[in-house]
Amino acid sequence: MLGSALIGFAGFVALCLAMEKHFKELLGRKPQVQQLRVLRVGGWLLLVLSLVLSVHMRGWAHGLVEWIAVLMAGVTLWVFALPYQPRLLLGLAAVSVVLGPLLAVLAV
Amino acid sequence: MKRNAAGLPLNYRLAVASRCLAATLGGYLLASMASVSIALLAPLPRVDATLTGLLLSFVFYVLAFIWCFACRSAWRAWWGVLLPSVLLGAVSGFAYWMKNP
Amino acid sequence: MKEGFRQAMAWLHTWTGLIFGWLLFAIFLTGTLSYFKDEINHWTQPEVRSHALDPVNSLGLAQRYLEANAAHASNWMIRLPNAREAALNVGWRDPEAGRRGFVSKSLDAQTGQPVEARDSRGGEFFYRFHFQLEMPYPFGRWLSTFCAFIMLLGLVTGIITHKKIFKEFFTFRPGKGQRSWLDGHNAIGVLVLPFHLMISYSSLVLFMYMVMPAGILASYGGNTGEYFNELFGRDDAPKAANVATPLVPLPTLYAKVEELAPGARIGFIQLQNPGDRNARVTFTQSSADNVAYRRSTHWTFDGASGALLTQGAPESGAMMTAFSFAGLHMGNFAGPWLRWLYFVFGVAGTAVIGTGLVMWLGKRQLKHAKSAHMPGELRLVEVLNIASMSGLLLAVAGFFWANRLIPVAAEGRADWEVNTFFLVWALSLVHAVLRSGRRAWGEQLALGALAFALLPLLNGLTTGQGLDQSLRSGDWAMAGFDLTALATGVFLAWTASKMLRPAKPVTKRASRAAQKPTVEGGEVSGC
Repeated sequence: MLGSALIGFAGFVALCLAMEKHFKELLGRKPQVQQLRVLRVGGWLLLVLSLVLSVHMRGWAHGLVEWIAVLMAGVTLWVFALPYQPRLLLGLAAVSVVLGPLLAVLAV
Repeated sequence: MKRNAAGLPLNYRLAVASRCLAATLGGYLLASMASVSIALLAPLPRVDATLTGLLLSFVFYVLAFIWCFACRSAWRAWWGVLLPSVLLGAVSGFAYWMKNP
Repeated sequence: MKEGFRQAMAWLHTWTGLIFGWLLFAIFLTGTLSYFKDEINHWTQPEVRSHALDPVNSLGLAQRYLEANAAHASNWMIRLPNAREAALNVGWRDPEAGRRGFVSKSLDAQTGQPVEARDSRGGEFFYRFHFQLEMPYPFGRWLSTFCAFIMLLGLVTGIITHKKIFKEFFTFRPGKGQRSWLDGHNAIGVLVLPFHLMISYSSLVLFMYMVMPAGILASYGGNTGEYFNELFGRDDAPKAANVATPLVPLPTLYAKVEELAPGARIGFIQLQNPGDRNARVTFTQSSADNVAYRRSTHWTFDGASGALLTQGAPESGAMMTAFSFAGLHMGNFAGPWLRWLYFVFGVAGTAVIGTGLVMWLGKRQLKHAKSAHMPGELRLVEVLNIASMSGLLLAVAGFFWANRLIPVAAEGRADWEVNTFFLVWALSLVHAVLRSGRRAWGEQLALGALAFALLPLLNGLTTGQGLDQSLRSGDWAMAGFDLTALATGVFLAWTASKMLRPAKPVTKRASRAAQKPTVEGGEVSGC
């Protein structure tokens, strides 16, 4: 489940960065339209992937509930910690993008 | 709304109170009538139809509340909950009569 | 209400939020605590020993106890110990005894003897309070359910009002006064919205049969019992034949259930007409096994012959919907990490309400920042805010302090724990009236910080099962409670320090901004 949670977290971070305001604030430069689109599509794909993983491992009932729960937890952590530790969180997101799929592959 | 020096005008307060009653009491009536209509008319086994009616009743209650405070006047609030209630009541009454001759 | 739709909804959101916010805060806080009801029970009755789970043995002990003590009762109930609940629970119908004609006893799972623990309502107190509000039946349930409806309405009107719900999805800007409070309120509302909507709607589902009976009455006439029989797929219990027949040993029936449903954990067992020829024994799968409540996971046996009579009927779509909401609300299926998330999201819901109450007042206080006295209505809101939030937290701490300080064998001690809760709550109200706003907040939060942070120490000194002991022996429920109390104390200390520090002078810009009515972001002008 941790794999699914990390992938979901990375997905939400991507969706956040896909917004120009946040991209500029967090990455310190002006984004190109193409970059924002990639982030948006990538973000949604990661969210869907985390759902598929969750349901595959835990079935529809538990899988769906746990997916929503970990997503809510991840995005809340992101939003509230962001003003205080943006770099730490970005680092966490980068780790998630790698560690998430790794854990998922190991668990499946 | 304009505040006058002494506070809110009485007719404003009465209108708000009226809307509150329309929402709480009238809304409950509407929700109950909707619940009964679904219970008697849904093409499901009796227990499932009743259950569905119960589950959906709160949606009607929420909508009634929203209507009562979004509409243009307290009168409209009452009409908006009582009229559908009467209609649904009539429909339910007919359905009940059909089921229990 | 001649303004637009959004402003009308903002008005509705603000006013229903205020009027019901104080009660909703209490409901949410105690409901959140209820997710750790069993762990709180364990802390408040440390004398109950946990043993390795042995359902077969426990069943035998329960049967022996019931046959010895409740031989003439028409109905027995057994609840087996599980990972979170150490005691074996038995109960029986006795119209002349117990609460509402039902007697309940906790037995030690190894010896089968009644547990010798201090009398305390423990976690059950908070659990029952959150839907009964310690009011006589059925008024408490009606009131709490109406509050749940207002919460649902508040969520819907909040969503309608929040114009920038997508644009500001990831936005939280601390250190900006009222703006930050609003950001915070919106963020915990939106980011945890699925939970908030589920919790509110499912509360309605749990008592819908009671608060919206019209549909049942229309379909079933006076025979509402038939609705429940059809819903739960059961028949009325057969009448006792008044022919004494020994009950089959329950462990043999348990073995049959294990064959029929390998891997299922058994939650509770109900017996009708035990010791009679027409005895019935129904095994129910533990609610920890499935998200939704299930009626299909029941197995009914003939209590005299041991033959399997019926298995629960499968659920229809409508039933699965309703039962899923019930199961999601109760969260019995949640393992440790998910249970902690339930707790965190419950705190989030409580915080949505709390931040709303603080903002309601804060915004209007800015308008009166220059004058020496707050108008009466605002002062009333301020006092109620303080008493219902920091006061309630003090009351919760007070309950636990009473649990450790009232002598273990004292008569009526369970009631005195509850009395302490309400007494402390009432005193906090008096204190809030007597002190100025900031000072009342600061003092109550500081006292709360002390009260919670010292609980682990109090526990260790009075029971010898403090953190040093519980961490060493792996008693995670006990340790978890103490650590959570400590963390709560630290958090309250932080909030107290913010309140006890001298207030930042209200800048000219801030008070001017409060005078101008704004529509965006749900900021509401006085209406």
